[in-house]
Amino acid sequence: MTPEKEQPQTLPDSCEGILNELYAACVEQAPNFGVDSETLCESLRKSVQKFVVGPSNGEATEAEIEKFLKSVKIGELFLALGCSIGNERAWWEFDHQHRAYLERVARHLASSDLNAQEVVDRVYVELYGTRIVDGRRVSKFANYSGKGSIRGWLRTVIWHSLVDMHRASPDEVSLDEMTENVGEGHAHSSFSETELGGEDSMIDEIAKNRYREATVKSIESAFSGLEDHEKLLLLYYHAENLKLREIARLVEKPESPLRKWFQRKSARRKKDPGSRIHESTIMRWLEKTYKKVLQTFSASLVGDFEMDEKEVEICLELATADLANPDIYRNLVTG
Amino acid sequence: MNNKEHTNRDEQLIQNALGAFLRARNGLSNVDSESQHLDEDVLSAFVEGSLSESEAKPVVSHMADCGYCLHVSAELIKLDLAFADEARPAALPEAEPSKVSEVLGGILSRIFGTNDGAVFAHEEKSEDENVDAEKEDE
Ligand SMILES: [Zn+2]
Repeated sequence: MTPEKEQPQTLPDSCEGILNELYAACVEQAPNFGVDSETLCESLRKSVQKFVVGPSNGEATEAEIEKFLKSVKIGELFLALGCSIGNERAWWEFDHQHRAYLERVARHLASSDLNAQEVVDRVYVELYGTRIVDGRRVSKFANYSGKGSIRGWLRTVIWHSLVDMHRASPDEVSLDEMTENVGEGHAHSSFSETELGGEDSMIDEIAKNRYREATVKSIESAFSGLEDHEKLLLLYYHAENLKLREIARLVEKPESPLRKWFQRKSARRKKDPGSRIHESTIMRWLEKTYKKVLQTFSASLVGDFEMDEKEVEICLELATADLANPDIYRNLVTG
Repeated sequence: MNNKEHTNRDEQLIQNALGAFLRARNGLSNVDSESQHLDEDVLSAFVEGSLSESEAKPVVSHMADCGYCLHVSAELIKLDLAFADEARPAALPEAEPSKVSEVLGGILSRIFGTNDGAVFAHEEKSEDENVDAEKEDE
């Protein structure tokens, strides 16, 4: 989902009532932000286009648009819009509510207090905007839709700004190196390196290559046959090394789509849809996904590559040893 | 080896193989154009769990294919958790609003060594403007 470049479409007439209500509520809360109703409506139209009606979403019903409008964090959006037009009161409010938070986030991410201060300064300048397009100053606040919280959005802005600063610095470090300091990088491999059994010596190179090719193709097809949310879970755990509790945090809200997709058939969800997601739940989702992969993987080796049970075992063992070397994998994929 | 042990061993092996496969695959992104990446607004809403099923679907599908957005979202998840206990801002103390120009003026002098307000509103060449405006849109 990328932002739309087309002009936002008009919202259905039925939404006019909601728009008026939203605007009235905003003005009641913050009468001095100087945001007119058209500015708020334009921003909401843009967001509807981006989240609800975009090419990847297709047509949306009026009910869907209404639901979206009601889900917007309207007070935070109104504040952002006030800041985007340079309203003094809105900036004052923003500065009082969020500056200290921005500084804490920056200190958490930056390598030194100096960097932290620099990144906050840069973010303020970006938020205010330094470019004029068609006679209007372009404020970064205009990119905030109100779909998520303003603090979540600010964390993302700070994170990106810090990465850009590192990239621009003479002793540039890679994105991975930089973020390694923030996270606790470690690979989730609960196993000791798999040693090939005694048969290894009996497997000649030609056979090994045949197994390798079949293994990579089968594991690729097993992975690509998964649903996107299952792929994402595996990628977060194995490629990004997220901890179970970090993944649990992502799905902790009862209305989390990922959670719904994983629990679609679960009796527990029907019984207690708001129950807390523990690390053990994430582990169970992972185990289910491994089982699914194992089934497709083995079926592919047997069906497509005519292997027997023992050969499937050999492929599994080879896979761990071989795929641990990314170059072998890349050669197999591109070769 | 009995059947159960056999299955457990295979499950362990597929877990290992899958982990190795995903780590090796992660460097190869299927999304080449930077303009196609998820923007900050979408990423932060996703990480917070603020997207509905239909809104999250294209996001999850993009991340399953894009190592860059996957990585950014993973970092944002860690950050979200690190600040999970931060309460909403406390009630505001009543005070006279400071001028936006004062807030930004201090920053300006730290960054540029000047607080010349003109820096905040400089006109750019129209050609650059279009390119930048497009980037901004993306
Ligand atoms: Zn991307």
